Amino acid sequence: MYLSNIKIIKKINEAKAAIIKTGIFMSLAAYWGVILVGTFITFN
Amino acid sequence: MDVFLPIAQVFVNPIEILLLSAIVGVLSGLFGVGGGFLMTPFLIFLGVPPAYAVANEANNILATSVSGSTTHYLKNTLDYKMGFMIVIGGTIGTTLGIITFSYFKGIGKIDTVISLAYMYILAIIGTLMLVESLNEIDRAKRNLVVKKKLHVHYWIHGLPLRMRFPKSKLYESIFTPIIIGLLVGFIAAIMGIGGAFILVPAMIYIIKMPTKLVPGTSLFVTIFVSVIVTFLHSFNYGSIDLMLVLMLVIGSIIGVQIGQKLGEKIDSSGLRALLAILLLVVGIAIAYDTFFAEQIQKEIISIPNSDLNFFSTFILEFSKDMPFFYGLFSIMFAILLGVAAAFIRRFVSNFKKKMLLKS
Repeated sequence: MYLSNIKIIKKINEAKAAIIKTGIFMSLAAYWGVILVGTFITFN
Repeated sequence: MDVFLPIAQVFVNPIEILLLSAIVGVLSGLFGVGGGFLMTPFLIFLGVPPAYAVANEANNILATSVSGSTTHYLKNTLDYKMGFMIVIGGTIGTTLGIITFSYFKGIGKIDTVISLAYMYILAIIGTLMLVESLNEIDRAKRNLVVKKKLHVHYWIHGLPLRMRFPKSKLYESIFTPIIIGLLVGFIAAIMGIGGAFILVPAMIYIIKMPTKLVPGTSLFVTIFVSVIVTFLHSFNYGSIDLMLVLMLVIGSIIGVQIGQKLGEKIDSSGLRALLAILLLVVGIAIAYDTFFAEQIQKEIISIPNSDLNFFSTFILEFSKDMPFFYGLFSIMFAILLGVAAAFIRRFVSNFKKKMLLKS
């Protein structure tokens, strides 16, 4: 019971880290998308 | 209480400028980078036209790099030979940068080019710093030790005309520091920055200099690059405003000294991620300003000379009548302030040590 609790907590922590990393990646992708599109529109 | 800048022809709040330059100075003293490419966007947000922000920030960087370089000179942590090689490249790069700046100014696109350059540079540095610091935090949590190769050779290490650099204990091609200097000089001329964010990693990872010599040598190179940028901007465009320079220099010199002291006491690795986020936020703000904000035609304020105070009148007339000497004066002014700050810091530091010994 104790061991399975530790496993669950570990999995939750890993899931949290994965969600944060995905969030950061999506934010950076959106940021780069905006500036690239903006540059393209400005020079068109 | 707003102050009128006679050369830039805009009103600014001196307390905002002093505070901002002090905060940016603290960040730059703490992390060793970040002065120029944070302060110039902030000046633009405060209403200073980009071309003037670039020129005046270059003058500010001159003062802070003289201050930092003097401190390193007193500690003997400078490789002059390597520094001069980078300066040779920096001179060529700065000249090319000014030619490019003149071209874009001539076609009326300089403000857009500067804004775009900042957007991309901040985006690249912010992204790299954020990814690096998050990986570092991740590795620290997992207690992972990354084994790196002692020597990694790139094509740049195979270039001819090798020379010995005794202080750094290196034997490599002079083209390496010259090419790096060229790139730094070019970017510095267009963006009004010191180039430390390129120089420092290039010195560590490409030239392979010992880490303790890197900050001092980088600051030494920045002095020459920013002298050339300041002089060329002043002489070609008359865009140096001593009123603005004075506010920037006072704020940033105080900030850099505080930042360096803080850096000795606190572990800044965790703060790198925050700095990366700050850079990205500033980049977003510039992107919004450039692409989405309504282009409001800013009313050109022209105040008759009779309404200007003595100091403003003096600056205006000095810059119009003797642009060459005005440029020289702004450079000497920044150098003197920088050297004075370094010696005051040393004096205070020695005084504290004596007081501690006595007690």
